[in-house]
Amino acid sequence: MTADSRAAVSVDDLFRVFHTKKRPEVIALDHVSLSVDEGEVHGLLGPNGAGKTTLVKVLSTILLPTSGSAQVMGHDVVTATAEVRPLIGIVLGGERGLYNRLTARQNLRYWAALYKLEPRAGRARADALLERVGLAARADDRVQTYSRGMRQRLHLARGLVHDPPVLFLDEPSTGMDPVAARELRAIVGELAAEGRTIFLTTHDMAEAEAVCNRVTLIDHGHLLATESPRALSVRLSRFERIECEGAADAVLASLAALRGVSRVTAVGVSTHIEVEADGVVTEVMRRLVGAGVTSVRVTRPSLEEVYLNLIGKRGMDI
Amino acid sequence: MGGWRGLRGAIRLQLQIVVADRGYLNEIIANPFFAIIFLGVVRASGRHDLTSFALVAPVLMTLWAMSLEISGSVVDADRGLGILEEVVATPTRFSTVVFGRVLAVTMLSTVAVVETGLVARLGFGVHVTLHHPALFVAALFVTTLAMTGTALVMAGAFVLAGGARTFQNTMNYPIYLLAGVLVPISFLPGWLRPVSRLIFLSWSADLLRGALQPGPVSDVLPRLGAIVVSGATGFVVGSVTLRIVLRRVRQLGTIGHV
Repeated sequence: MTADSRAAVSVDDLFRVFHTKKRPEVIALDHVSLSVDEGEVHGLLGPNGAGKTTLVKVLSTILLPTSGSAQVMGHDVVTATAEVRPLIGIVLGGERGLYNRLTARQNLRYWAALYKLEPRAGRARADALLERVGLAARADDRVQTYSRGMRQRLHLARGLVHDPPVLFLDEPSTGMDPVAARELRAIVGELAAEGRTIFLTTHDMAEAEAVCNRVTLIDHGHLLATESPRALSVRLSRFERIECEGAADAVLASLAALRGVSRVTAVGVSTHIEVEADGVVTEVMRRLVGAGVTSVRVTRPSLEEVYLNLIGKRGMDI
Repeated sequence: MGGWRGLRGAIRLQLQIVVADRGYLNEIIANPFFAIIFLGVVRASGRHDLTSFALVAPVLMTLWAMSLEISGSVVDADRGLGILEEVVATPTRFSTVVFGRVLAVTMLSTVAVVETGLVARLGFGVHVTLHHPALFVAALFVTTLAMTGTALVMAGAFVLAGGARTFQNTMNYPIYLLAGVLVPISFLPGWLRPVSRLIFLSWSADLLRGALQPGPVSDVLPRLGAIVVSGATGFVVGSVTLRIVLRRVRQLGTIGHV
């Protein structure tokens, strides 16, 4: 995939390495290419340390890439930061990122000024956003009195203060209770309906499925696949692994021959039985228990394992 | 125009932070104690000719300490709160943000003039007369700007290395001595005096003390010019330094590192 100048976000062969003293270097993004259409809600799904936040920080001009290029609305994030910055809203999430001793209104007016809004427009925008994220009644309370969910909503309001066409949301629902997370997803849906491009990182498959048009799976700095969340979810649910100990060779051989079992491998004292079809786990468990095996557990293989498996079977067409 | 909005927003934010967190006012709170000590020393030693030193020194010390302290805490606090990365990613230059926030606090620090005057009058019966009020205000104004410019240079060091604040704290008193803020430059060894004149505080101290004296003040414009040039140089060097340092920490990925 190559950079597309008409895309809202395009990333071409992006590489980012972190050099740290006394530690081996860390490759956070390993020649990543990606394109996000205007108006799309695109999820970047992966475990902690996969490279999600690094990609968001490169796209939002906080970090420089080691090599490769990235554009937002056709502007290069390295050479045209002045053009990129007014076009993007950033919500890095978490507990931090706000002036705790100031009120929500004071926080938002500051960010409005930094995004060069005229004071009256900044005031009006802050009021409208506080209303939108349900914080109007607490607008003049210090942020330090807010719950985590309220802070996250204020983060979102801050990211929207200059009405950007592109919004980067980095783990926006982390730490939220289910009700707050659902409310946040509803707001993201509204923002998408307004035509904004939203690039959202998450490690929550359900969140990605709820709000994204497409999802890119990332792990160890590699993009593994880009698909609709529905297709991705189906693929993931099919793959499971049964780990057992003490199974006889004859039993393992019969399991290996079972339709839907992709692989049986010995790992130390245990055996891993990889399953890639619905309903096969039950049959494998039945046979193992029937053969007197008592040490059995079912796990999910890593996302990367699943996708490497897929890529191996289907070639590089994902 | 947009830069002014960012500057105004930064000034307003810093004033709101000061109201919310009085810890930022430590130097202003400490100023009367310095004034008491210096005026007490002058009185005890019978050196009434040095009264102007005792009046001007606490004011300049407060301005200097506050401006450098805030330039460090803008970086440190924003980093600690996880805000620095987002600030850097806004369309407003980071140097504008730092300049506005330092300017707010430095301007606020000029209240040290009133504090010192009250200590002199109420504590020592010294009636401070501004014989050249326009000069005093002009000197104080350009000094405030020059300190803000100098603080920008330090902010660059703070972004790059948190340990720079320790260095800053240890440098305060040598600067006061070298610039003739605490004692006349004529008390310093001859070889050191030219170095003193490289520090704008020495020109500021001369002009502020001169404004308290009844006689004419010589070379007003060149001295004011020296302060303005120092401040402008600090602003330019600080802005360039910050730009270079920010690029460096964007490469290293250490902007938000506490």
